Amino acid sequence: MKSLRGIFRREVDLLRMQVLDAVLPLAFYLLVVMLFAFGTRANDPALAGLSVSILWVGAVLSALLPLPRLFASEFEDGTLEQWCLASTPLVVIVAIKLFAHWCLNGLALAVMAVPLAVLLGLEGAGLGYLALGLMMGTAILTLLGGLSACLLVGIPRAASVLPLLVLPLMAPVVIFGSGAVRAWQLGADPAAPLYFLGSLFALSATALPWACASALRNAYD
Amino acid sequence: MTRVQRYRLIGVVCVVAGLGVAALLASQAFRENLMYFYTPSDLLAAESVPDRRLRLGGMVEAGSVQRGEGLVVGFVVADCAQAVAVEYEGILPDLFREGQGIVAMGRWQTEAGGRFIADEVLAKHDENYMPPDLAEAMMSETGHACEPFKSAMEVSAVRRDAGAVNDR
Amino acid sequence: MWTWFHRLASPPSFFRFADRLAPWVGGLGFVLLAIGWTWGLVYAPPDYQQGDAFRIIYVHVPAAALSLGLYTGMAIAGACALIWRMKLAEVVMLAMAPVGMVLTAVTLLTGMLWGKPMWGAWWVWDARLTAELVLLFLFLGVIVLGDAIEDPRRSARAAAWIAVVGIVNVPIVKFSVNWWNSLHQGATVLSFGKPAITVDMAIPLYICLLATALLAAHAVLRRAQVRLLQREARTQWVKALRAQELGALP
Repeated sequence: MKSLRGIFRREVDLLRMQVLDAVLPLAFYLLVVMLFAFGTRANDPALAGLSVSILWVGAVLSALLPLPRLFASEFEDGTLEQWCLASTPLVVIVAIKLFAHWCLNGLALAVMAVPLAVLLGLEGAGLGYLALGLMMGTAILTLLGGLSACLLVGIPRAASVLPLLVLPLMAPVVIFGSGAVRAWQLGADPAAPLYFLGSLFALSATALPWACASALRNAYD
Repeated sequence: MTRVQRYRLIGVVCVVAGLGVAALLASQAFRENLMYFYTPSDLLAAESVPDRRLRLGGMVEAGSVQRGEGLVVGFVVADCAQAVAVEYEGILPDLFREGQGIVAMGRWQTEAGGRFIADEVLAKHDENYMPPDLAEAMMSETGHACEPFKSAMEVSAVRRDAGAVNDR
Repeated sequence: MWTWFHRLASPPSFFRFADRLAPWVGGLGFVLLAIGWTWGLVYAPPDYQQGDAFRIIYVHVPAAALSLGLYTGMAIAGACALIWRMKLAEVVMLAMAPVGMVLTAVTLLTGMLWGKPMWGAWWVWDARLTAELVLLFLFLGVIVLGDAIEDPRRSARAAAWIAVVGIVNVPIVKFSVNWWNSLHQGATVLSFGKPAITVDMAIPLYICLLATALLAAHAVLRRAQVRLLQREARTQWVKALRAQELGALP
């Protein structure tokens, strides 16, 4: 248990030392949304319809930024090897690290999306559905991105290949996540897409940590 | 039980539990039925259909197509239980005909019993392929199965008279 | 029987097996495709609703079926590569990826050509079309990842993970038309119960399906052979093969 808390604390400490790494995705998200707002006329009614897509795609792209270097520091200073040899199962270590990353990155993006959504004209219960969807969506992105990062750990070209691997698999997540808010906008029940998103999250959280652990061991074969 | 065995047991339990949760949530989602379009029953049964662009799917009722001036056309779209009137101005796809399944995009107006103002009409082809003479032999009264247009809300209302809906 | 299978898994014997099998498979596939296309495009009766435009089914459906079949095969090969670390499974998986990608692209393009006159739209974001597009990107991901890393074994295993994780997409493509109210029609050929297509339209379709499968198999076998030669360039059997080929030249 202590080791797990240690891993979580390590993530926090790493980010505290490199504050820019923590702030960069959030700043990027803010800038992307602002650019969209500037790109359309002020108080354009069409903006409300598009705002959901902008908020979702912006969040996904921002969450993508730190992914290539997710395991880089561990790889470089040898912590990764220690993890492979540790008594705690590698699956658990990887899961905790991904969870810590999500708390500091994905959750922050989901929370930040709410005021940005208000800026783009979204209001009421839709904000809640947006935030909930984004929390699950960024979690899935962390898991998928984590898998891709594990597959590409130590490879210098990872940053260019990783989006190609992760974004197509994120397509259903974005569809359902934005679909939920749009359903609410149309007066339909947003529950079904959110349930499906939850199902995807449960599936990813169950299966992908094992894949990540196996991929990390693969790096040392 | 050794440590490794205990970890393996916990691992298996977690995986099974996770898969179970995923399956449960997915089945819940399917029961709520992710819709690509509303059916006529959905539109008529919904308490408030908002004033935004939506999709309506159903089959074109036989004998309901009325051409107005220019490219204006009116017809009735039905599923197995209900029917709604649709107005459209524009070019209809090749496959559009009575008894054909369509998906229309537009707005729902509640006055005068309810009308759908479509700005786009797509024909939904069914999965039957056959030569024309066989088709004639097989054609039922309405000419097309309404199966692909099951209502998402499982509305089992009495079928409304299409004539009443058509009064404008 | 298992000894035959084990012997096949060794690169040199697979190479010889593929070398002997590929020409036959390719030749038969080519002949069947010619028959199937002529029959379907010229002689089959027109559809009661779509007229002659439905004939694109003879290209679209075999390509779609094969794109799903190849992805499944690729995922199985990937699983074998990961679980049993079979070198040959890695090679076969990476050989299937480009063929699958081309067939998926053909499916999407012919689908668009069919959709415009029939539905009235080049493209709609319904479940089956979107899932097929995701399949295209999955194939692309396997191709890119399969050669991204210096060490070919590590590269292949990384690609295998993508192939295995993406298998969830295949049931979505297949069953999406049943699960959700969508624009693409339901299953015609592989639905339970009586198939909804008449015999004289169905037979050329089955011929085209078989022909496409054979041609895809030919392409996969040849690609696998090339990959094997590239990977095993420094081994004895490849060197012997090169000497043999060079010796055979006048």
